[in-house]
Amino acid sequence: MRYKNLGSVFAVLLVSVFFIATTTMAKGVIKIGVQAPITGKFASEGQGIVNSVKLIADQYNAKGGLLGKKLKVVTCDDEGTAVKAAICARNLVNNGVIAVIGSYTSTCAESAEATYYKAKVLQTSDGTSDTLVKHGYWTFFRNSSPNSAEGKFTSEFFLKAKKYKKIAILSDFSTFSVDLAKAVSENLKKNGGNIVYSGKITSGAQNFTPVLTKIKSYKPDAIYFSGYYTDGGLLRAQQEQLGIKADFIGGDSSDNPEFVKLAGSAAAGAYIINVPMPQYLPYNAAKKFLSDYKARYHEDPPSIWTLYNADGLRAILYTIGKLKTTNTKKIADYMHNQLKNFPGITGPVAWHKNGERATSAYMAYEIQPDGKYKIVYPVK
Amino acid sequence: MEIFIQQMVNGLTIGSIYALVALGYTMVYGVLKLINFAHGDLVALSAYTGLVIAMQLAGAGIGGVLLVVAVFLINAVVISIVGVLLERTAYRPLRQAPRMSAVVSALGASLVFENGMMLIWGPMPKIFSIDLVPNINWNIHGVYISFIQLLILIISFALMVALYIFVNKTKVGIAVRASSIDQDAARLMGINVNKIIMLIFIIGSALGSAGGLFIGMYYKSIYFNMGWIYGLNAFVAAIIGGIGNIPGAMLGGILLGVFNALIAGYISSSWATGFTYLLLIVILVFRPRGILGERVAEKV
Repeated sequence: MRYKNLGSVFAVLLVSVFFIATTTMAKGVIKIGVQAPITGKFASEGQGIVNSVKLIADQYNAKGGLLGKKLKVVTCDDEGTAVKAAICARNLVNNGVIAVIGSYTSTCAESAEATYYKAKVLQTSDGTSDTLVKHGYWTFFRNSSPNSAEGKFTSEFFLKAKKYKKIAILSDFSTFSVDLAKAVSENLKKNGGNIVYSGKITSGAQNFTPVLTKIKSYKPDAIYFSGYYTDGGLLRAQQEQLGIKADFIGGDSSDNPEFVKLAGSAAAGAYIINVPMPQYLPYNAAKKFLSDYKARYHEDPPSIWTLYNADGLRAILYTIGKLKTTNTKKIADYMHNQLKNFPGITGPVAWHKNGERATSAYMAYEIQPDGKYKIVYPVK
Repeated sequence: MEIFIQQMVNGLTIGSIYALVALGYTMVYGVLKLINFAHGDLVALSAYTGLVIAMQLAGAGIGGVLLVVAVFLINAVVISIVGVLLERTAYRPLRQAPRMSAVVSALGASLVFENGMMLIWGPMPKIFSIDLVPNINWNIHGVYISFIQLLILIISFALMVALYIFVNKTKVGIAVRASSIDQDAARLMGINVNKIIMLIFIIGSALGSAGGLFIGMYYKSIYFNMGWIYGLNAFVAAIIGGIGNIPGAMLGGILLGVFNALIAGYISSSWATGFTYLLLIVILVFRPRGILGERVAEKV
């Protein structure tokens, strides 16, 4: 019993010494926190975020740091759970970070949001849930494209790039698909698009020839489907079988290699709208980052989500360098109001006042006869 | 006009698949008065086994018409064996038990099949990645019909005619009908009712296996729980036609397919499923035993 107590006394001593050491050392550094699921089922995503942040920080440090100070990365594993995320937030704040990158999941980002807000610590996350930006925290920046951006982009692609005159819209019965179809129709209507048909299919029903035949009678030049690739691929195949000469455009859930297999020879010429895979990003910042990442870690970033987080960090560091301050309120004000079209890895970066990303990374691809994607919009 | 004809083609294609599957339900019900809930899953299973068999045979260098015929026959044998095993293990021990026990056993068998398929082939949809028949598509004055659709219509029709002749014109067919009317009397006449029941499961499973293969060949995507959606539709078809009645199941399947296509085509695709059940209710209100079902006094 006595020895045990002695042990904990030692531990406390050790921790406090360590704490004092780090806080005194902190004078010459800017600390950046990473809150990510480094272990658990999202481990690959979490490690991608840590890797990106370390890569960017080291690139700054190699050039002499920021404002004459070295960047120091402090990581915390939230394991993808809300409880751990709250503990992480507390630890990172105590550690004196000025900004936190993460987390990967909306749940974890949200459970940490308030802690960062109270401590005036900036936070940027790739979470897609709309509730993230509804709290009114000035510290929070969401750098993924919101769900509603897809509808806006789709309508732009239809009316400006393809100039479709008659559009048919299909969804399945899932909340996600219905909402996306609704967002697309609303944006189309607002911009003078002509929707000749909108309807729903039962996911998994496999036989979509009746509804497609009905659509055929409207002679549309585009058929849009907001549901999943399992149905999308079949719709495309059956559309061709029925001899309907309309473009087929699938939403982000149709973006799956299986779509091409299901649609078979009909896949060629179909369009898919989604945020791109990292290797398809056309931007210079993206090409440089991807080659740097690969050179250091010998693999590609796990997903686009990693890059969203990297963009959040890059924008924050850019702003610190520009304003020559580490005052988080000033940084946030600049990012909300003045930062426009910052050249991000995932396209131009800017934020609305509520922390919502104002620009979108969506793209339209055309599936080629060999099953590969070709970016057709936006034209670079 | 071509839109209407196209919808009829659409409806007849899916309708004949429903009819093939519905025959399995109706024949089992006719003799055992049991709804074989696992039948839809047998159909799904047959799509998977058909794919495996087709890949193996194609890998062994067999091709053309021989491949198609071989796949259909071997698959029918495999699924018939599974069907007979199902009857032996899940239904025969409960033959004298209250009817509810058999229904629960059927539901349990259905779950066993579904989860088994998920464990073996995974939860994601599988692509039926082999073209058993050439990919030809005809355009007849704006009405499109593919070779596989034609094949589905012809083979289903041929199978149904063969079944009708078998049941109505052969000695074994008479035994089947006798067993369905009164098992005890049939037994007294020297009919081995157990053998007849086995035969029913063999025929039902074989017809279902053809349906499952058609689903795979036509739609190219199969998934482990698709038996549920096809089984449900086929079950409705069997009831519409008059459950226990063989021509009724054929009629019900075709009717359901065409009705579904016309509703989706002229009213609303979102409501197609809803209207299907409305049709079922309306038919049951006016003809409680289905369109071709005979009026039978309930034995008390």
